[in-house]
Amino acid sequence: MQMCEPGETEMRVLVIEDDKDMASFISKVLSEAGHVVDVAHRGDRGLTLARAGDFDALVVDRMLPEKDGLTLVREYREGGGVSPALFLSALGEVDHRVEGLKVGGDDYLAKPFAPSELAARVEALGRRQVSEAPVTNLKAGDLEMDLLSRKVTRAGQKIDLQPREFRLLEYLMRHAGQVVTRTMLLEKVWDYHFDPQTNVIDVHISRLRGKIDKDFDEALLHTVRGAGYRLQA
Amino acid sequence: MTFRLPTLVRTTTFKLALLHSALFGVFVLGLLVYLYASTVVYIRSEAGASLDAEITELVQAYRTGGLVRLNQSILERSSVPGSRQFIYLLQDSRGQKISGDLSGLPTGVPVDGPQNVIFNIDYPKADGSIETRPAEGRLATVTDGSVIFVAYDVDEFVGIIPRITQVVWTAAPIGLLMSLLGGVIISRSAARRADELAKTAEGVMAGDLTRRAPVVGSGDEFDRLAEHLNAMLGRIEQLMLSSRHVGDSIAHDLRSPLTRLRNRLETTLAQPMEQDVAEETLGQTLGEVDDVLATFNAILRLSRLEAGESGRMERIDISALASELTELYEPACEEAGLSFSTAIGRGLYVRGDRDLLAQAISNLLDNAVKYTPAGGNIRFEVARGREGSAVVRIVDSGPGIPAHERAQAVKRFVRLEASRSEPGSGLGLALVDAVAHVHAGELLLDRGDGVGEEAPGLSTTLRLPRL
Repeated sequence: MQMCEPGETEMRVLVIEDDKDMASFISKVLSEAGHVVDVAHRGDRGLTLARAGDFDALVVDRMLPEKDGLTLVREYREGGGVSPALFLSALGEVDHRVEGLKVGGDDYLAKPFAPSELAARVEALGRRQVSEAPVTNLKAGDLEMDLLSRKVTRAGQKIDLQPREFRLLEYLMRHAGQVVTRTMLLEKVWDYHFDPQTNVIDVHISRLRGKIDKDFDEALLHTVRGAGYRLQA
Repeated sequence: MTFRLPTLVRTTTFKLALLHSALFGVFVLGLLVYLYASTVVYIRSEAGASLDAEITELVQAYRTGGLVRLNQSILERSSVPGSRQFIYLLQDSRGQKISGDLSGLPTGVPVDGPQNVIFNIDYPKADGSIETRPAEGRLATVTDGSVIFVAYDVDEFVGIIPRITQVVWTAAPIGLLMSLLGGVIISRSAARRADELAKTAEGVMAGDLTRRAPVVGSGDEFDRLAEHLNAMLGRIEQLMLSSRHVGDSIAHDLRSPLTRLRNRLETTLAQPMEQDVAEETLGQTLGEVDDVLATFNAILRLSRLEAGESGRMERIDISALASELTELYEPACEEAGLSFSTAIGRGLYVRGDRDLLAQAISNLLDNAVKYTPAGGNIRFEVARGREGSAVVRIVDSGPGIPAHERAQAVKRFVRLEASRSEPGSGLGLALVDAVAHVHAGELLLDRGDGVGEEAPGLSTTLRLPRL
């Protein structure tokens, strides 16, 4: 099953999860996506590992024995740890998400989740670290975006975008080569934290596709079945 | 060593009765003792005072008129029939009787002094027998050595005392008995009401959720307790019914997609596997699993909301939120061949949770897009309502919901017959309703913009109180 193709860069991910089945499931999903995964089953052990190893991303369960996820990430950040952290939790409500972000978490995913969602979010986290220097230009194949003048061109041809379409494309280009899910787009581009029952995001994507791909031979914006979308040259 | 008290002894009835009779008994006994003591003391002191007064008078008579006058006084007093209270004796200094009722001083009388002496007097009766009665007297000596002795018949003065004693001994057991009886009666009625409540609870625990405690209408504590118990039982019954309904609905709503899923996988497995068929099947399967997960998440969210979890309440620009949602939904409406018009009033604020409000409005828009056939229209309005409230209204020209089904439509998992075939969890309107409640607002359903009775359309109004 090839839902998410391996990202361009292999990542080292630390999974801190006390449920052994869940931990091995996450580990399998991330390994299949081409990453190297370490697992800890206890909070205190997880913190030690996170501090010792140079991980590209941490996946931290909220409920952990010995040291809960929130405390773990807070102490990790206080100790100067910079690896991005994704909280996993059965408590998927808004307050809990905000709590997680407050202590230094970078993303939040409620159980149960689709494996593609997890893989996509972990990859998005890892890439964030790489592109920390402020960029003014994004490029994917012959598609270029100037973040200062807010101009988009493909093969030198100017493309007019609505403000929201611009932000949508910007997010896709920042994560070029990665799968981004509908939920991620709704969260990061629209700042909504729920799943609409209708295909609102798909319609926005197809409009954007109409603007950037329609008059060109090679399609850049791909649909990844069962997962989301990927912008790839 | 332990032993079980008999059941009777452990009942509240028994304890209350015992306590009641003990308290009442102590009270009655105390009253009787007080009555006895004060009466006896009073009578005795009265008698003593009369005796003193009598002696003083006689001594006075001696002082004014000597022995002759004293003797005369005694004779006069002894001879008055009927009013005879006292018994007298006058003796000269040699111990010879001069006058009086007694033949001589009773034995043991002190020579002189304040002490009283108790002795017996024999009264000859008409039938020849002799009656002996107690008397109490005192002796006084005047200056020539003569002796005055005055006594009173104890029975006449203090004869009432034994009668009082008798009354006390008779009354005490009666009082105790009455108090015990009263205690039993009072506590029996309390225990009966408590028993009724216990029986009701037992019945409910045994599974009969319709059982209710009797309310007699006296308005007392037991009635209030029964009313509260009944209200609680009503709520429990309602919750049990709704959870049973939710259970059934979950089973129904999740069983169909899971069954479909299973069947598809089984048929695919039975066929020779071709790459494109397998991919197609797996894609559809994933979609259905995602639907099931979405339903689970919706159930979780709804349960949290219904349990009163409200998220973060802050000042929300509902106008701005509506504009954002318009921008999100407009393309989807166009795609579905619907005309989408908006009338969003500026600068309307409410106190609320942005995510919840966004989800609620988005659910209403989802429904409108889903149920309105192509060529129809959707209106999205935000305006100021009465009392400064903000009113979010979404009106469509779809099939609508018949008036008698509208109340039902906002309940959990209710998917009206007409929409059973459409995808969706059946939780959309229930969630909007729950969000409205969390914000102290309301969700109202009405007919919409449709034409004729075939498709009257639906108007959903979310009213949120002013900031």
